[in-house]
Amino acid sequence: MNRRTLLGALAGAAVSVPVLTACGSGITSLDGGGSAGSGGSGSSKGGVTIGTANFTENQVLGYLYAAVLEAAGVKTTVRPNLGTREILIPALKGGDIDLLPEYQGALLHYLAPKSRATEEGEMQNALAMALPAGLQVLPYGMAEDSDAFVVTRETARKYGLSTLADLAKQNGRLVVGAAPEVKKREVGVVGLKDVYGVEFKEFKSLDSSGPLVKGALKKGDVDVANLFTTDTDIQANDWVVLSDPKNLIPGQHIVPLVADRKADSTVRKALAELGNVLTTAQLTELNRQVDKDKKDPEDVANTYARQHGLAK
Amino acid sequence: MYELFENLGSWLVSGDQWSGTDGIAHRLAEHLQYSLLATLVAAAIALPVGLLIGHTGRGAFLAINLASFGRALPTVGLVVLVFLASGLSMWPVYIALVALAVPSIVTNTYAGMNAVDADVKDAARGQGMRGHQVLLQVELPLALPLIMTGLRLALIQVVATATIAAYVSFGGLGRYVFDGLAQRDLVQVLGGAVLVAVVAVVLDLALSALQRVLFRHRPA
Amino acid sequence: MTVDWSWIGDHTDDLTSLTVSHLEAALTAVLLGLLISLPLAVLAHRVRPLRGLLLGLSNVLFTIPSIAVFVLLLPVSGLTRTTTVIGLTIYTLVVLLRNTVEGLDSVPARTKEAAKAMGTRPLRTLLTVELPLALPVIMAGVRIATVMSISLVSVATYIGDGGLGQLFTDGFQRDFPTPVIVGVVLTLLLALVADALLVAVQYALTPWTRRRA
Repeated sequence: MNRRTLLGALAGAAVSVPVLTACGSGITSLDGGGSAGSGGSGSSKGGVTIGTANFTENQVLGYLYAAVLEAAGVKTTVRPNLGTREILIPALKGGDIDLLPEYQGALLHYLAPKSRATEEGEMQNALAMALPAGLQVLPYGMAEDSDAFVVTRETARKYGLSTLADLAKQNGRLVVGAAPEVKKREVGVVGLKDVYGVEFKEFKSLDSSGPLVKGALKKGDVDVANLFTTDTDIQANDWVVLSDPKNLIPGQHIVPLVADRKADSTVRKALAELGNVLTTAQLTELNRQVDKDKKDPEDVANTYARQHGLAK
Repeated sequence: MYELFENLGSWLVSGDQWSGTDGIAHRLAEHLQYSLLATLVAAAIALPVGLLIGHTGRGAFLAINLASFGRALPTVGLVVLVFLASGLSMWPVYIALVALAVPSIVTNTYAGMNAVDADVKDAARGQGMRGHQVLLQVELPLALPLIMTGLRLALIQVVATATIAAYVSFGGLGRYVFDGLAQRDLVQVLGGAVLVAVVAVVLDLALSALQRVLFRHRPA
Repeated sequence: MTVDWSWIGDHTDDLTSLTVSHLEAALTAVLLGLLISLPLAVLAHRVRPLRGLLLGLSNVLFTIPSIAVFVLLLPVSGLTRTTTVIGLTIYTLVVLLRNTVEGLDSVPARTKEAAKAMGTRPLRTLLTVELPLALPVIMAGVRIATVMSISLVSVATYIGDGGLGQLFTDGFQRDFPTPVIVGVVLTLLLALVADALLVAVQYALTPWTRRRA
């Protein structure tokens, strides 16, 4: 065990050093990084590399993780915008990154597509079972960001849509837009067909609650769009979130996914504290500041951590 | 790696993969449309410019430097910039592809014109040819091989780069590359890449065949 | 589309580090490309049948979209700088190999025969006669490869690297033109400066060509 941890730490150091020096990481990774000493215990000593997916909120969460870990004396590097879960998890296994902000239900469906667990505790257990060796999830936090299938007010009226089940009445007529990976995901085209019998006329590969999918919904290029519930544009545009009576979309509490080699008590404690403080409304507001006020995700995260006593 | 290529085989030959809006046939047609239209527009802009500076010898320094400046333009940045300015439309794709193709065509056209022997031009004028006659009947035919080289180079670059259309929600063979990246489906990525390469090579061979037909009457 | 100047002022450190990272990737790729293409070019120059094969192969590599190359390297080198550098190196080979072969071809046969007649060994001839004489053509290739690499680095933003390219994805996701404009301008400046420096290097390395000009 000890040897394994030591080797893990060495491997981690070997990986993260070139990343720190050569990559320069994100736009805003410099001010926060490297200031704290290595006061942490155990295997997070060599520093923790936090990977984040290709949408705003995940970067906000990554920098929040960094803020609380730095406050706990762990050196961190944030690598923003690495891609999708499908890209990130192999990178976590391979050692390119050590930690990433994940979403309970979506992660579970990625690892175990057949899983029907919906209750949080149940999902947490199912996750622990489904995770490959070397990876673990830490306790999930309060904040939640679900997938939502959204239509414009006009489309809802025209086709009589209020639930996901209503989509099946328009089979072969509607165009759905989402990030490319959603085409193959359970919480996506696959599950909509299995659970609700929905068949779309066409799937358009766009982005994760980003400019493409929202632009296409506004323009009418797509009828149904896959967005995140923490996206303030849903309210701002008076879009309709289709309800999910059969619970296809599982609870999506935010949960840290970490490599065993870095999951020491310092890391666990710091991330658990953040999880107990951050609410969905607060996270939504942080996303808005980055997307609309054009603030840096890192600044927004640091300010939040300071204001809530999570960092100095 | 071997497995990847084996799966590529079945990806390429499966009937499903060829039909429908996300089928290879449709994506191939889109890719050809983007590439050919962009190259044509670029040629319409770049050929007259290259011919004019080659014929008059004026503005060559500026044009050549602008062209090498253009070569440094990052396509991804240009696409995003035009996207932010114009919204969800084909403009970002076409502007970026045309900007990519223009420098190769201008520089090669100019080089071709510049290489025409001054004595030949003088002789043509001596026989009473006017400026535009010298340009069209003497310089242009002699410069044609290099002009064609520029067009071929531009077309290859455009075909490879038209992949970017998929980044801003459009189709073409890049769809397989970007979707495959998001889904970590490397077979799909490889399939898209191989198809793009095949299109580029086939179009290049076609242009070189055309070139040979055009010059058949003239000993090299 | 307005430029938010205060954003630029607030991010000079980040912009500097992204620029350095960008340049590092491009220059490493060109250096590696040179190291690989020099021996290959000598081979292609000496062994005729290999020439067509090597040049043809490098031309085909050029037709493969760069983003696909980066993605296909993921199983090999993951989400690392190595992936970026390998991908870029592949593209530099196309230009460097062709120019180096053409450079070697341009050395007059008489010059080589003279060296041979003076009893110079083949390797020595290559290093002290052929390569220096081929240098202007090789350097032309290095200049094109460098400008091309600098412009291509940003594609690696799709795999989480890409130097200044990160400004493009960032601006795209947030509907924020400032970082994108800054990224494009800095990329152009980098290419311009690198090209000018290479011209100076070539000038210093080939004193014998100066009198002709």
